[in-house]
Amino acid sequence: MLFAHLSDIHLGFQKHEALQKIEQQVFEKIFDQCIERKVDFILIPGDLFHVNIPEMRVQKFAFSKFREVYDAKIPVYVVYGSHDFSPVSNSVIDLLAEVGYITKVTRVKDSEDGKIVLDFLIDEKTGVKITGLSGLKVGKDREYYEKLDSHSLEAESGFKIFLFHGGITEMKTESGMDGDHMPLSLIPRNFEYYAGGHMHKWNHQKFDDHPNVVYPGTPFAGYHKDLEDNAKGQKRGFVLVEFEDKVKSVEFVKVENTQYSVIEINAENRIAESLNKELQEKIRGIDPAQQVVIIKVQGELAKGKTADVDISAIRDELNQKGALVVIINKNQLTSKEYSITEAKGDNKEEIETNVFSENIGQLRFEYSELLGDDGIKLAKKLLHELGQPKLENEKKNEYTPRINQNALAILGLDDAS
Amino acid sequence: MDELSVVGQVVGGSFGDIVIRQKAGTDLEIGDLMVSEENGSFLILQVFALEYGSQIQDKMQQMMSGVNLEQGVVDAHFYEPDFVNYVLARIKPLARVFRKDNEVKIPKSLPSFFNKLRLITKNDLEFLQKEKDSIFVGYIRSGSKVIKEAEVWLPAEDVFSHHMLIPATTGRGKSNLVKTILWHVLDTNKVGALVLDAHDEYFGRTGIGLKDHPKAKDNLMYYTPSNPPVGANRLTVNLQSIRPEHFEGIVDFSDPQFQAIRMAHRQSRSNWIRDLMLTDAIATGMESTTQSRGEFAAATMMVVQRKLRLLLSLEKDEEGVVFSRHEVFDSTTKGLTTVDDIVKDIEQGKVVILDTSRLGDEAELLVGNIIATKLLQKYKDAKASGELDRKPVATIVIEEAPRVIGVDVLTSRNDNIYSTIAKEGRKFKVGLTAITQLSSVIPKSILANMNTKIILGNEMKQEREAIIASASQDLSEDDKNIASLDKGEAIVTSIFVPFAMPIKIPLFEEIVKEKGITKDTTKTKVF
Repeated sequence: MLFAHLSDIHLGFQKHEALQKIEQQVFEKIFDQCIERKVDFILIPGDLFHVNIPEMRVQKFAFSKFREVYDAKIPVYVVYGSHDFSPVSNSVIDLLAEVGYITKVTRVKDSEDGKIVLDFLIDEKTGVKITGLSGLKVGKDREYYEKLDSHSLEAESGFKIFLFHGGITEMKTESGMDGDHMPLSLIPRNFEYYAGGHMHKWNHQKFDDHPNVVYPGTPFAGYHKDLEDNAKGQKRGFVLVEFEDKVKSVEFVKVENTQYSVIEINAENRIAESLNKELQEKIRGIDPAQQVVIIKVQGELAKGKTADVDISAIRDELNQKGALVVIINKNQLTSKEYSITEAKGDNKEEIETNVFSENIGQLRFEYSELLGDDGIKLAKKLLHELGQPKLENEKKNEYTPRINQNALAILGLDDAS
Repeated sequence: MDELSVVGQVVGGSFGDIVIRQKAGTDLEIGDLMVSEENGSFLILQVFALEYGSQIQDKMQQMMSGVNLEQGVVDAHFYEPDFVNYVLARIKPLARVFRKDNEVKIPKSLPSFFNKLRLITKNDLEFLQKEKDSIFVGYIRSGSKVIKEAEVWLPAEDVFSHHMLIPATTGRGKSNLVKTILWHVLDTNKVGALVLDAHDEYFGRTGIGLKDHPKAKDNLMYYTPSNPPVGANRLTVNLQSIRPEHFEGIVDFSDPQFQAIRMAHRQSRSNWIRDLMLTDAIATGMESTTQSRGEFAAATMMVVQRKLRLLLSLEKDEEGVVFSRHEVFDSTTKGLTTVDDIVKDIEQGKVVILDTSRLGDEAELLVGNIIATKLLQKYKDAKASGELDRKPVATIVIEEAPRVIGVDVLTSRNDNIYSTIAKEGRKFKVGLTAITQLSSVIPKSILANMNTKIILGNEMKQEREAIIASASQDLSEDDKNIASLDKGEAIVTSIFVPFAMPIKIPLFEEIVKEKGITKDTTKTKVF
């Protein structure tokens, strides 16, 4: 017997058309392989979609593919993830469940007396007992697991699978994302297979009472960093598990997505001109045609502004040479000359004032209204305006110009525009 | 002063050794606190010795006893016995409190001659107010009487960064005290603590423990190598986290052995222990006698392998994977971030308990060493970047402290991280909370740096002397007092308290009963 396990597909995450196509292709390829390999069922522990209501284009191809899987009589068992479901709003994933293309495995028998008692779902064909919990929000999940009546789940006999959406501390391979992890001890013991979602890299570990804890990782990308990891050789795909009364094998099936080129530049103690020169040299050394090109510049410039590193010219050049997409990451680029000094305060208002006061002295402008106390007042006003949320029922094409106009008015530039 | 409350009157003595006559019908005890009302202030004094006094000469008393015992005169008694025979108490001044502003100062003068004294009451101790972010250690104790309204709180940031010593022999309430302190550390995120729990007694895996604190879910982390209870973490440290310097001052390696270790680290970097354990010293051509081209004699390599194997409980499975029997160390991909995670938790002001009960002595210290080294480095970096103010104070709670800061360890081996913290941690807001039965083997220079000592009962004279010699207040007359401290009774001496405070530490179980977590029976909506 065979089942497939995939997770964190994040359909609808990609904004660029070329990447949207890859996202769709990868998704379809995986399900085609599942049908081809005649799996008995498919597990998806969360984050099928990137948002609770993805755009219609995404819904269309997702429903179409799930229909094929349904017609092939392959059940799809899911728990919800932190992206694809909203407890306070509608979610497309609920529609999929409603029409019967997918089945949610969380069946609460009882949640009185502070305990959460779950029931098992039994797969008709294989007799496998499946249960699990959705992963909604960091912190809230932990409360679910602490209240979970593990004893009744652990006492159940047979081949059992537990679906969950969340990071496991013991399986962390890199620091960071702390709030996203929980200790393995929260997950009920003695299941044959633990189908995990939320972590975006393939990971399979064995523990005493948790024999197979598996994360297939995202099949393509659900965060911007995933693309960077892909470029650095992170393998992507899904998992096929062969089993009888025990798990016989856990096979990672690689699914190709696209070709990448990475250009990394260390800006530490350098000046913008030299960085621009290096960037030019490096892009001359690659053929970007039909590739996703990722440019990452990090470090602290010795002088000048970070904006002096001229990325737009580089982007144009790469696009002209036929790059699929050019992704530029300057998040970790700072400048000694213009580094922001942090400042304390008792409230938001005070912190903002103090940060501006600490840093405004660095600026050299001809316009005196941008400097000193006037500059601080102006900056605070501007910050306030730019932080305004979208009004109810306001469309994006109404919201952006409104904010732009107001910001320009604060700067006294409304007439000029 | 109400005549009824008078317990004695000053009749003589000198500064630091004042003699009072006990009022008949009262029953003064060693350690009793009493008050002498002065003009605008009052003195707090403490009884440190009791003796008999009489208006009848010694020889006469002895003869009267003879008449009583030998001639069977049953109803013989003194004429006006309360005037003739009495108890003299020797007392010392502890503090002068000014009524106007509750200011407490070290006394520099005697109480008025013939002044009448009374026992201390809760109203006299109003200066003991709980300040923000302080930790509770117990109630003021006058002799064996506990004044429950007078709680002793210590300023958390100061006491932990200036190191704390808890000298105690077994059975005097040391574990109860540590739990009480940590319970109050859990109240806020102002102090981060690493607790090396060699007896797995603080978390409360099977009974009442720190896990029952209402904020335990957020502020308490528990790492244990075996069957972690629900919500706890598995203590697994990847071998990649260990560097050669972590063994310094902990394990006895000879110079050639250390060189071999450093060479292995240079060659294999992060996987050096795994590679070193898998190296077949003889097969790889390490001649048993030559030591050329940076290679080490097979014998040295084998000794290093044997020591590491024993220390870390390492074994090799049939696929050549190195693993540790108690599962605390891992050579694959488990526990890669454990050290970072723990350090981060401490930096966030959490209490991290490591159950090291399954580890050998050296392995326990090594795990602590790896974490403490990283922690100190992070705090040093924070100081360099001006961010130290925002960090909570960090303390490392270690039992049997002489294992790492004992005089023999520090003279025979290099300094280790614990002694470094004891010497310079204060500058970086990192302190030690050292628990020991043997204070006398800790060097004076380190003992003097431990600016808060919570002294529990100790029957060993040599130990009492070491503690008294390094106390923040003059305890030279308190030798017998310390010897007679009952279970749960203690004396707090610290540069952060106005005088050496006699306290009674409450039972931890009672604290939990009063303030512990209540069962959540609310219904949870599950999606």
